[in-house]
Amino acid sequence: MVSKLSRSRFSGVLASFVGLVILAVLPGFVDPYSLRIVTGVLMWAGLACAWNIVGGYAGYISFGHSAFFGIGAYVTGILMQRDLGIPFLATLPLGILVAVGVAAAIGGPTMRLRGAYFAIATWAFAEMLMQVAIILDITGGTAGLSLPAYLNEFFFYYTMLVVALLAYLGTWYLLERTRFGFRLKALRDHEPAAEAMGIHTTLVKVQAFALSAGITSLFGSIYAYWVTFIDPRSVMGPEITDQMVVMVLLGGLGTVWGPALGATVLWLINRYIWSELGDTTIYLPILGLIIAMIVLFLPNGLISLLPGGRRGGGLMGRLLRKL
Amino acid sequence: MDVLLQALLNGILIGGILICLTVGFQLTFGVLHVIDFAVGGWVMLGGYAAYWASRLLGIDPFISVFFVFALFTLIGCALGPLIYHVRTSRYARPDLMALAFTFGIFIMMRGGALWLWSFDSRSVGSVLSGASFSLGPVTVPLLRLSAFGMALLLGLGLFVLLYRTRFGLAVRAVAQNRDHAGLMGVDVKRVSAYVYGIYTGITASAGVLLATIYSVNPEVGVRYTLFAFFVAVLAGLGSVGGVLVAGLVLGLVESLVGTYVGTRYSLLVVFATLYLVLLISPKGILQRGI
Amino acid sequence: MHADTARQTISRSPLVLEGLVKNFGGVTAVAGVDLEVASREVVGVIGPNGSGKSTLFNLIAGMLPMDEGRVWLDGKEVTGQPAWRIARAGLARTFQIPSLFDNISVHDNLMAAAVESGDWKRAPHRAKETMEMLEISHVADNLASELSGGQQKLLEFGRVCMRDPSVILLDEATAGVHPNIRRIMLEAIRRVRDSGATFLVIEHDMEMVREICDRIVVMDAGQVVAEGSFDEIADNIEVQKAYLGRQV
Repeated sequence: MVSKLSRSRFSGVLASFVGLVILAVLPGFVDPYSLRIVTGVLMWAGLACAWNIVGGYAGYISFGHSAFFGIGAYVTGILMQRDLGIPFLATLPLGILVAVGVAAAIGGPTMRLRGAYFAIATWAFAEMLMQVAIILDITGGTAGLSLPAYLNEFFFYYTMLVVALLAYLGTWYLLERTRFGFRLKALRDHEPAAEAMGIHTTLVKVQAFALSAGITSLFGSIYAYWVTFIDPRSVMGPEITDQMVVMVLLGGLGTVWGPALGATVLWLINRYIWSELGDTTIYLPILGLIIAMIVLFLPNGLISLLPGGRRGGGLMGRLLRKL
Repeated sequence: MDVLLQALLNGILIGGILICLTVGFQLTFGVLHVIDFAVGGWVMLGGYAAYWASRLLGIDPFISVFFVFALFTLIGCALGPLIYHVRTSRYARPDLMALAFTFGIFIMMRGGALWLWSFDSRSVGSVLSGASFSLGPVTVPLLRLSAFGMALLLGLGLFVLLYRTRFGLAVRAVAQNRDHAGLMGVDVKRVSAYVYGIYTGITASAGVLLATIYSVNPEVGVRYTLFAFFVAVLAGLGSVGGVLVAGLVLGLVESLVGTYVGTRYSLLVVFATLYLVLLISPKGILQRGI
Repeated sequence: MHADTARQTISRSPLVLEGLVKNFGGVTAVAGVDLEVASREVVGVIGPNGSGKSTLFNLIAGMLPMDEGRVWLDGKEVTGQPAWRIARAGLARTFQIPSLFDNISVHDNLMAAAVESGDWKRAPHRAKETMEMLEISHVADNLASELSGGQQKLLEFGRVCMRDPSVILLDEATAGVHPNIRRIMLEAIRRVRDSGATFLVIEHDMEMVREICDRIVVMDAGQVVAEGSFDEIADNIEVQKAYLGRQV
């Protein structure tokens, strides 16, 4: 038993190491276009990871995470305008600070709402913020905002890689190895019982929400500098949240590595459609179809199909067990 | 003063349609315990159906609305059992899974419309378009008045169905208590499917009416979903009666903000109000939610 | 007046209730309950359905706001505090309907119960001990939702043990369980009592009440109508009225 466990742990460590090496040397072996795709995978994996903290571990389905992505993007975008000229790296902590501040401020009252009420409230909040971005002058309104161009794909690849890795290691450690994770899972599964264990559920929920918002905002900042042009739709539109939700559901809600898996699969599909069909609109109905199919047939996500994954449930799980 | 009266009139006329848009949504929540994110999608698809009926077959939207109702009722009846299946499944969180499911359907609708019919806004013409008459200081557009009347007709039809038929009795029994209704011999699954069908039918019909007044494009769905949420939350989720007041409130808010503050602020005001109402009083201002 | 003096003298009692009142709309669920539970005492609360027992528990645990009254835990007043604060002050409870953390394992349920109490480093060891005591070690890695009804009751009690509380409220800990599980539970309750905990238990199973309770409190219509040892209560006319007059 012990040797079997340590052997599986050893192979896990080995696989992670090989994966890391591949990721580290990848830019030397692929063309710039492919590198952009992988950079995108890393970003979406990180975003899915952030959403999963609230959606998967705390059990609160947020339809408003695009707000935090947009906050990061706009903080960086606005601060890097010529008249302010603040360097990119300095804008990152400020973006996080604003996002965490907003999340902490709205988290308390918003997370008193349960289930669908929370989903509606976060959605309304995100749409509201997008309207604000449209109306304000400082954001450039619907005309958008251009950032100083920095055309170094390696820089963005490695930035996304480091941030995504930190996000995953950080959440893995926090949620699977510390008391914080137990607090979150307890309140997800039964909030009154968690309170009866002495868990200050409101505080823990807000902490999780702020953590998730901070990570989301960080990716928003990097994204803005990467694409050098942002407007309300592209960084605050519902598509951002849509993708985060689908990636997590596809990979496996409430698992550490599921979001990375879901993000990889979905973003590759997205890029494939974009390059092969030259038409991104068909991606949306496919996205919707995937959500519906996942809910019907694979509620524990792709990761439940892997050996050692959490046991499968729903129709697909039952079918697989019958085979 | 005339401007105010005109704004009030417009607000009430639109409010009537918003009521019609939300009534079915509330009924679905009451019976299936599902928040349907796709509500705006049904509105949008109803609008497109009317557009194509008018464009290809030359049918006036005030005629095609009946066909749209029938068609979407059938579609809803087919989809209903799936939603019922998810909601009553043994998943860890069936409520959230049902939410995600309708969210997926909504993205499918929005994306499908975008893919098939592009971003362009399409307006649906009617013989009533442009016609109006004066009533003292205000102008009453015939189109909006007729749409309002049609919405009232649909709402009245639903009311009669709910309170004057055996089927309505079964629906109300399920809304009261699903388990008890099941024990009393009500086929809960079938009732749920029919309710979902009626809801999609009535919501798509509201979409037809809205498309004649404004226009329709793939993005209107998001907006109408939030409008439906607004009305439903204000009324209290699941409360059918409260919708009468809340729908008019939204119509008036939109119209007054549009007239006096500027149309570009009206969405902001609507979303901000929705968010604040949720925070302050999630059971609805009227305190009649479930 | 006498309540105040009583508090002076018994202020070290683990649990003191004074004049608890709770109304739901027009209905009075708890109508002025005074109670003190001494250290290592096991007090049974019995009474017909709807007599206010579970509401009383919810008031003590801070899960319902009370209309009137005060609560002391280990001599410290906790009236009106949120549930998590009262829990940290030393109260643990079980729920009438098992309220486990369904999507995590049995082991993790116990770990989650210990996050706010005691030495976190020792929590895995204590979880192991608790599972052994309750004879659920063989299902340590199963999800809580996969357990049988009886095992769920045991796990619920296990979570209480992990908290190392001074006062424990048990809401029908053995309702409808297999005799074997009942035996395990009984032994566990005795062990936890002997290690210094105080119990207030709602119980319908009179055999159980006779075996573990030092004192019994009978509730009817939100009030304490009788109090005494098992034998005293068994002969009490008020108790018979409360039960028989209502056909439960």
